Amino acid sequence: LWQLPLRCARRTFASQTEGELRVTQILREKFPRATAIKVTDISGGCGAMYEIKIESEDFKEKRTVQQHQMVNQALKEEIKEMHGLRIFTSVPRH
Amino acid sequence: MSGSLGRAAAALLRWGRGGGLWSPGVRTAGSGAGGGGGSGSTEHLDALVKKDKVVVFLKGTPEQPQCGFSNAVVQILRLHGVRDYAAYNVLDDPDLRQGIKDYSNWPTIPQVYLNGEFVGGCDILLQMHQNGDLVEELKKLGVRSALLGEDKDQDSK
Repeated sequence: LWQLPLRCARRTFASQTEGELRVTQILREKFPRATAIKVTDISGGCGAMYEIKIESEDFKEKRTVQQHQMVNQALKEEIKEMHGLRIFTSVPRH
Repeated sequence: MSGSLGRAAAALLRWGRGGGLWSPGVRTAGSGAGGGGGSGSTEHLDALVKKDKVVVFLKGTPEQPQCGFSNAVVQILRLHGVRDYAAYNVLDDPDLRQGIKDYSNWPTIPQVYLNGEFVGGCDILLQMHQNGDLVEELKKLGVRSALLGEDKDQDSK
């Protein structure tokens, strides 16, 4: 049921690139407990660079570098195609 | 929060001339004695990250970063007045470039090591800079951040 908010997100589905959708999908699979995932292509749609924001219980009590490592691991194959990425992880407030 | 982070990040990622009045000890990896292993080997990298308190692997050099994220790391260290650090240019050496990614199990450059320990990339350093953690970590290394201002030893009436 928590997936509904993700679908009705502020941005319309149609405005996402294929790459954004693919990365988002992978993150949803690898972080089923995530409460918020936002992937933005910051390379002007070229798929070269992404900004990833992800909020999940999985990150609780882990150091930032460990949280980022988890995301790196999840996107290992995709990252090979990227020039770079920015990761912002967080833990749900409540 | 993401708004201010974006602004600060944008400012740091802007291409600057980087440095100028100072030059940190730019070491070239792979040079020096000892043939075994090569510049990308674990032993070699282990020695590199432990040799200096602050070690960064960049694309380019502190004087001339070749990448916005590497530049951000250089600028943050400059803000804190950290002058004496080892900077290795991965663009000079493909073995180093791949080796350091394997060593840290981290897919991107730049990489920052404090006291031999992998700290993270540019995003993490930026976060540490913004939340004050970087000042603390530098303090633990015996490096006083320039952002701490003047010593408060003066008498005050």
